[in-house]
Amino acid sequence: MNALSLSEVTVDLGPRRILERINLVVTPGSFTCLLGPSGCGKTTLLRAIAGFTPLSSGDIRLGERSITELPPEKRHTAMVFQSYALWPHMNVGDNLAYPLKLRGIPKDERTQRVATMLERLALGGFEHRSVTQLSGGQRQRIALGRALIIDPPLLLLDEPLSNLDASIRRSLRGELRQLQKSLGLTTVMVTHDQEEALQMADQIVLMREGHIVQVAPPASLYQQPADLEAARFLGVDNTVACSPQDPSALAGAKTLGFRTREARVDVAPSVNALVRRGQVTECVYTGDGYQIGVTANDQTLFATARTPVEAGRFVTLQVPESALIPFGPDHRYMPSLNAQEHTA
Amino acid sequence: MFPAMTAVVLLYALPLVRSLASAFHGDDGLTVAHVVRAFTLYGRDVAFSIGVSLGALVLIAIASIAIAGYLTLGATRWAVRVLRWLYRWPLFIPFVVAGQLSRSFLSTNGMMNTVLIETGLLSAQSAQSFLDWRGLILTFAWKQIPFVTLLLAGAMAAVEPSHSEAARNLGAGRLRALFHIVLPQAAPTLWVGLILSLVAMLSVLSVPMMLIAGNPTMMTSMMAHRITYYGDYGVANALGLFSYALTAVTAWVYLRLTLARETQR
Repeated sequence: MNALSLSEVTVDLGPRRILERINLVVTPGSFTCLLGPSGCGKTTLLRAIAGFTPLSSGDIRLGERSITELPPEKRHTAMVFQSYALWPHMNVGDNLAYPLKLRGIPKDERTQRVATMLERLALGGFEHRSVTQLSGGQRQRIALGRALIIDPPLLLLDEPLSNLDASIRRSLRGELRQLQKSLGLTTVMVTHDQEEALQMADQIVLMREGHIVQVAPPASLYQQPADLEAARFLGVDNTVACSPQDPSALAGAKTLGFRTREARVDVAPSVNALVRRGQVTECVYTGDGYQIGVTANDQTLFATARTPVEAGRFVTLQVPESALIPFGPDHRYMPSLNAQEHTA
Repeated sequence: MFPAMTAVVLLYALPLVRSLASAFHGDDGLTVAHVVRAFTLYGRDVAFSIGVSLGALVLIAIASIAIAGYLTLGATRWAVRVLRWLYRWPLFIPFVVAGQLSRSFLSTNGMMNTVLIETGLLSAQSAQSFLDWRGLILTFAWKQIPFVTLLLAGAMAAVEPSHSEAARNLGAGRLRALFHIVLPQAAPTLWVGLILSLVAMLSVLSVPMMLIAGNPTMMTSMMAHRITYYGDYGVANALGLFSYALTAVTAWVYLRLTLARETQR
C-alpha cells in the first residue's frame, strides 16, 4: 500500500493554472523531494496535500483514505513551515505541547513527552525558554519537534533549511535524514536546492511550470535528466552539438551535455572521450582547482584544471564518455547504446 | 521641539491641570467638598456610567473578535468581502445621528418592536421601550464596534498566516486557531481599542441626552447639567475627575498585563 498517492491533482488560482494533472506515488517510510525552480508549483503541491490549497480536480489519498475533501485539521499530516511558524506567545514547551493538548492528552503525559522530544532534539531543558530567544537552527528543530510529537503518518517540509547558514544547513541535513530514517517517517520535502535534494531524497520529483518533469532516484536523475532544461537545472552547464568523431555509443544523439567538473584540459588524450580543441579565454580560481573557459568552434565551454592555465593558450578539452549526457533532436534524454545493451 | 512642547503644554496640559485643580478648589482654598458633593449627588450616575461602559465594552469585544476573526480566518471568500465592505459604515456616522437612529429603532413603537410584532415573535402588549441603559449599551456598542474591529482586524492580519496554518495543520479547528493563536497575538491592539472606546463613551453627551430622560444617567449629562444650570464648575470638574480615574485604571490594568507578558518572555 502507498503512504500517499496523488491522482490527476489540478489546482487553479483564479484564471491561472498552478498545477496540471499531477500523479505521484509515495511509498511508506520514504523521503521524497519536490524539486524545481521558484514558481514551478512545488510549494502549492505541498500545501494542497496539507489542505491549505483547494483542488480544482483530482484526488489525494493518505493510505487508502481520501483526504481531498477534509479540512487541514482532519488530515493528520504534520507540516514544518519555511518560517518555522513558532507561536511567539507560547514558550518552547507550550509550542511542543499544543498538538498534544488538542488531542486531549493529560498534562503529566504532555510534560513527559515534551521532555523526551527535547532530549531527542538535543535541546533538553529548553521548556521554559521563549521561542524568540532561540537561534535559527534551534527554532528549526523545535518546529520539527512540534510536527513529530504527534507521530504523524506523513511529514511535510516546506524548504525547512533555506533560512539557515550554510554550515548549519549541512549538519541539519544529516540530522534530519537520520531522524527520518530511524522513525521510518514518510516525508515529502520541498526544496529548490538540487544538492539538498540529491543528498537527502530516496525519490526526487522534478517539477516545472506546474507539471512533473521526472520522478527518479537521485543518481538516475543526476545522470539521466529527462530533457535538456532539466539537465541545465541539475548543473549540466555545457552543451555541444554531437559530431561524428565523438564516442560511437552516442551515435544518433543531437546534443551532448556535461558538467564543468567532469571536463579536463590537463589530462592525457584517451579514446572514447569527447574531445574539443580550443583557446583559453579565462582562468578562475575556485578553491579546489581552476575553472577554465575555452572557446572552441565559436562556443565557450568550461572545464577544470589542477593548475592555472594562461589565457590565449590552445588546449584540448576532454570529457570521458561516462560523463556525457546525450539528448535527441527533441531535446529529450536519449539512452546511449551501451545503456540500451545493458538494459536489453 | 520647543514650539511643539509649548503648544502641548498651553493647549493640553494646562487646561487639564486647571480643571483638575478647580475640582479641589473652593472659596476658602483647598477642599474636597466638590468631590464629596459630586459623589453624594451623583454617585448613582457614576455607578451607572461604569456599568453601561463595561456592558458596552463586553459587547464591543465579543462582536469585534467575531467580525475580525471571520475577516482573518473566514473560508467563504464572498462573505468575507461583503463583511469587509459592510462593517465600517457606522464609523462615518456621528454619535448624535447614532443616538437619533437608536431612538427611532429602540422606542416602544420603534422599528425593532414593529418588526418583532409583525413577524409574530412579540405580542403588541408586551412591547417595551429599550430607551434606558440597554439602549445606551446597544448604541455605544453599535458605534464603537467598527472602530475596534478595524484596529483588531489590522492586528490579526499582521499575524503571519503560517501561525494559524501551523495550528490547523496540527489539529486545531478555525475557532481554536482564532482563540489560541491569532487573538493572543493581537490582544494588545484589542485592549488599546477598548480603552479608546471607553474614553469615547465617557465623553459623549449627545447619546445619553437623546436616549435617557430621567435618572440615573451618564456622568457627561450630569456635568453638562451642573454647568448649564448652576455654573458649578467645581462639582462638574469633580465628576470629570471620576472619568479620568476610570480610564486611568483601565490603562493601568492594560500596562500591567503587557508588562507581565514582556517579563514572562
